[in-house]
Amino acid sequence: MTATPLAVYVHVPWCLQRCPYCDFDTDAVAVRDIPHEAYAIGVQNELRFRAPSLSEHTLQTVFFGGGTPSLWSVNALASVLRSIEATFGAFASEITVECNPTSLDADRALALRDIGVTRVSIGVQSLQVPHLRYLGRLHDAESARRAVHSAAQIAGLRVTADLMFGMPSQTAEELLSDARTLLDLGVGHFSAYALTVEPRTRFGELARKGRLPRLADDAVALLFEALEAQCAPWGLEHYEVSNYALEGQQGQHNEAYWRGADYLGLGVGAVGCYAREMTEKKQSVRYKTVYDIARYIADGQAAKMPQEEPEPLDAETLVREGLMLGLRTALGVNLADLQARTGLDPRAGRERAIARAVKRDNLEDLTTHLRIPRAKWLTADDIIAGLF
Amino acid sequence: MASDPALIRNFSIIAHIDHGKSTLADRLMEFTGAVTQRESREQLLDKLDIERERGITIKAQHVRLQYKANDGLTYQMNIIDTPGHVDFTYEVSRSLSACEGALLIVDTTQGVEAQTLANVYLAIENNLEIIPILNKVDLPSSDVEGTRQQVEDLVGLDGAGAIAASGKSGIGIADIFEAVVKRIPAPKNEENKPLRALLFDSWYDSYRGAVVMVRVVEGRIRKGDKIYFMATQREYEVVEIGVFTPFARALDELGPGEVGFVAANVKSVHDTKIGDTITDARRRATGPLAGFKEVKPMVFAGIFPTDSSDYPQLRDALDKLRLNDASFQFEPDTSEALGFGFRCGFLGLLHMEIIQERLEREYGLDLITTAPSVVYKVNLRHGDPVLVENPSRLPDPGRIESIEEPFLKVTIHTPTHALGAIMQLCQDRRGEQIGMQYAGTERVIMTYEMPLNEVVFDFFDRLKGASRGYASMDYELIGYRKGNLVKVDLMVNGEPVDALSVIIDREKCQKRGRDLAQKLKELIPRQQYDIAIQAAIGGKVIARESLAALRKNVTAKCYGGDISRKRKLLEKQKEGKKRMKSVGSVDIPQEAFLAILKIT
Repeated sequence: MTATPLAVYVHVPWCLQRCPYCDFDTDAVAVRDIPHEAYAIGVQNELRFRAPSLSEHTLQTVFFGGGTPSLWSVNALASVLRSIEATFGAFASEITVECNPTSLDADRALALRDIGVTRVSIGVQSLQVPHLRYLGRLHDAESARRAVHSAAQIAGLRVTADLMFGMPSQTAEELLSDARTLLDLGVGHFSAYALTVEPRTRFGELARKGRLPRLADDAVALLFEALEAQCAPWGLEHYEVSNYALEGQQGQHNEAYWRGADYLGLGVGAVGCYAREMTEKKQSVRYKTVYDIARYIADGQAAKMPQEEPEPLDAETLVREGLMLGLRTALGVNLADLQARTGLDPRAGRERAIARAVKRDNLEDLTTHLRIPRAKWLTADDIIAGLF
Repeated sequence: MASDPALIRNFSIIAHIDHGKSTLADRLMEFTGAVTQRESREQLLDKLDIERERGITIKAQHVRLQYKANDGLTYQMNIIDTPGHVDFTYEVSRSLSACEGALLIVDTTQGVEAQTLANVYLAIENNLEIIPILNKVDLPSSDVEGTRQQVEDLVGLDGAGAIAASGKSGIGIADIFEAVVKRIPAPKNEENKPLRALLFDSWYDSYRGAVVMVRVVEGRIRKGDKIYFMATQREYEVVEIGVFTPFARALDELGPGEVGFVAANVKSVHDTKIGDTITDARRRATGPLAGFKEVKPMVFAGIFPTDSSDYPQLRDALDKLRLNDASFQFEPDTSEALGFGFRCGFLGLLHMEIIQERLEREYGLDLITTAPSVVYKVNLRHGDPVLVENPSRLPDPGRIESIEEPFLKVTIHTPTHALGAIMQLCQDRRGEQIGMQYAGTERVIMTYEMPLNEVVFDFFDRLKGASRGYASMDYELIGYRKGNLVKVDLMVNGEPVDALSVIIDREKCQKRGRDLAQKLKELIPRQQYDIAIQAAIGGKVIARESLAALRKNVTAKCYGGDISRKRKLLEKQKEGKKRMKSVGSVDIPQEAFLAILKIT
C-alpha cells in the first residue's frame, strides 16, 4: 500500500497584540497569561481523536503557525511535536515554527533547533520604520535584523521571512533593499505578501470609512514586478505567487497545500482537510475547529473531542481548489494528478474557458500541466476565476 | 339562487402603499368568521411572493363575506381589492367601476398621499360613495384629528364621517361594516335586462384556462350559458361560476349586483380584456358598458440572457409570465451586442422591475435588461410615420423629419420642505409646471407636463431622494408632442454597443454623453487590456474615456490551510462574471446597461 503524505498544522492562538491587518484567529494576551501546558494537552487530546482516520498516512511536515508560536514555551511545543511523531511513528522532514522578531533571540532559536525544529519563519514584514508603524508592528527594523541574524547563524536551522508590500508611499527601492538585506543576513527563502485589507479587521473598518491610506493597485503591481525582475540576478526562484527561494530552500509544508495533499489541522481555530468516513463512503472533509480557547482547553482536560465545523468537499470543488492552488505555482497544475485525486477530468466543461485564456496569453497549455505565465501572475485570481 | 340586490354591498379599498390595506382586509374577513386568524396567515389578499415582500398588491383580488348587520339582516359583502400602484391606473379604474362604494384608508401617522388622491378621484369619477377610514390610530405617532382635517381639506370629503380604525388591533371594524351597510348604495336590480357583466380582472389557471372576475350589472349569468365578450368578439360557454369566501366556492349563477369568477374555457388571459363587457350570446345587450380601453405598454426594454444558451428557457419563462399578465408583451429581438433576446413592453417601470425580478427569482435566469425606452413616433421625410420603441432601431437621421414623444401629466404631492428640490428636478427633466396648489401649510400638489422619456430615466427614485421619501406621484398619458431629440450611441473598444444607445434631448446630449461615458468607465470593471469608451452622435464622437487594463487581481495569501475561504472568493468573482455580457472581448456588467439611469 502506498502511504499518503500528510502535513500537520498546529495553531497557536496568541499574540502580544493584534495587528490591524490580520484576521486570523488569535487573542492578544500578556505572556504570563498563556496556558502553555494546558493548551499542549488540548492539542494532544485533539490529535488522539483525529489520528484513527489517518492511520495510512506518512508524516512529512509540521508547521506551528498562529498567532505567535514563538510565545509558546519550547517545552510545551516540544511535547506536542513528540506526540505527533509518536502518533505517526516517524519524524517529519520539515518542522517550521512561526516567530515574531520580538519573541525570537539566539537562545530561543537554539532551543527550537534542539527540540528538532528545522526551520523558523520570521514575521519581519518590513525593515522600514514608517511601514512597520503603519502595519502596527511592535518591532523596529533593528530588532528584526537581529532576530533574523541570530536564527540564521544556527547550524541546522533554515530561516524564511515574511515581507509585506503595498504600504502607502512604499517604493520599489525600499522593497528591494529589504529583500536584499534578508538574503545578506542568511535567509534562504522569503514570502512577499501584498497587503490585503480584510473586512473584519481594524484596517477593514478604516477602509470602509475611507480613512485607510493605501497604495494604488497600479503601484502595488509595480512593486511586485520590481521584485520579480531581481529574482534572476539574485539567484532566487519565484516559485509561487508569494514565495521566493534560493536553490534548494523551497518550503515543503506549503507545497503540500498546493498539491492538494491531506493536512491535519490541530489547535483551536485550526483548519484541516483529509478523507474521512462519511455516511456512505470516504470523502474529503475540510474542518475548522471552533475558535473558543477556554472551551478547547476544557475539552482537552475532559478528553472530549473539540467542536469543529466540517465542510465535505465534492469532486468538483476539489478540482476547483486544485486549479486555484496549482495555478499559483511556477510549475502549474498537474492535470493527471488532479484527475487521480478527484476522479474528474479537470478539462471537462472548461474547454472553452481554457482555449479563451490560452488565446489571451493568460494560460499555457502544456498538455500534462496548465500554467499561468509569470507575467500574468498579477491577475491570477481573474484568470483562475475564469476557469471555475 | 342569486341574492337580493338590496342585500348586496360592493366596495373596494383605496389606500397608499403601506397604509395598511391588506391588514385591514384581513380583519374584515376575520370579523365575519370567513377565516380564522390562523388561516389568514398574513395578508390573504396578496397572493404573490413579490407582492408580500414589497407590501403592494399587483393583481386585484376579490372576496365575498356574509355580514349580519345590526338591523338583523345578513348582507353579502363583496370586497374588490385594487392594485396599488401608479402603473395600474386603468386596472384600478375598472375594479372601482365594479363597486358602488369605497373605503379610503389613510394612515394617520402619514397623512394623505398623492397616490391616494389619484385613486380617490378615480372613485369619484365612478360615482362611488367613499367612506374615509383613519387607520393605525393605535400607534403613538398617529394624528387622528390632523388626518381628519386633511381628508376634508385635501380630499374634499366630510371628515366627520371618517371612522377611526386599526387593522392591527381590530379597532373600528364593526363600525366599518355598519357604515358600509348604511352609506354604500345597494346595486340596482336590473334582473330582466339582457346580461351585461363587467370583466375587471383575470388570471390563468392551469386547469380552467383564463378565469375572469366579473361584476354583473344587468341580467344573470348561469352555468352552461353561452356568453359573448363584446370587445374581443368571442363566444364561450360558462363551465364554472363561483366566488371566493376567500376560499373558492362554486355557484350556479350570479345575479345583478353580484361579483364572482367565471371560467369558460378561455385559452389565454390575452383574450380577456380588462373592462370588457360580457353579455348573453343569444340575447345580446345593445351596447357595452362604458369605459373600456385597450391597455398598451408604455415602457419598453430589451431582456437578454447573459448566457446565450439560456434563450429557450427565457422564452418559456416569458411565455409563462404572459399567461397571467395581459398587460405584458414581448417579441423576439436581436442585438448585435447582446445576441438573441426579447423586446418587452410594460405598463410602467414598476411593472418592468417586477417582471425582471420574477424571471430571475422564479426561473433562475441571469439577465441583461437594457435601459427602458418609450415609444417614439418618427415622422419621416418620405413615407408614413413609424413607431420606434428601441433606440437602436431609430431610422437614419437623414430620413427623419421630426420625432414625437409621449407626454405625461404628472401630479406630485410633496411636503413644502422639498418643493425647491423637486421643482429643480422637474425643470431638469423638461417638465413644465401647469399647476401648484397648497394643501394646508405643509403640503403642496404640483402638476407638470413632462416627457415620459424623462420619467422613465429614474425620475421616481430621484423624486424620492429629493424629498427624503416623502413625495409621491401619479401620472397619466396626455399624448404625443414634437421633441428635439437625438440618438447617442456608445462604443466600447470601437465597437458600437447597440443596447447602450439612448434617445435624449438635443440640448442635453453633450453633457449626458460625457456623463454616460464616465459612468460606463466606473461600471465596467478593469480587464486584461485597455478599453476605450466613446459616446457619439451620428458618427461624431462627443466624449471619450479610457479604462486602463487590470493591473492586479491576485490575493496575497493562501494561508494556514483555510482554502475554502479563498475558493469561495473566487467563486463569487466567477458569479459576478457570469452576470456580465461579453461584448466583443469586453465583459460588461448588467448595471452598465442601465448607466443612463445613474447619471443626472
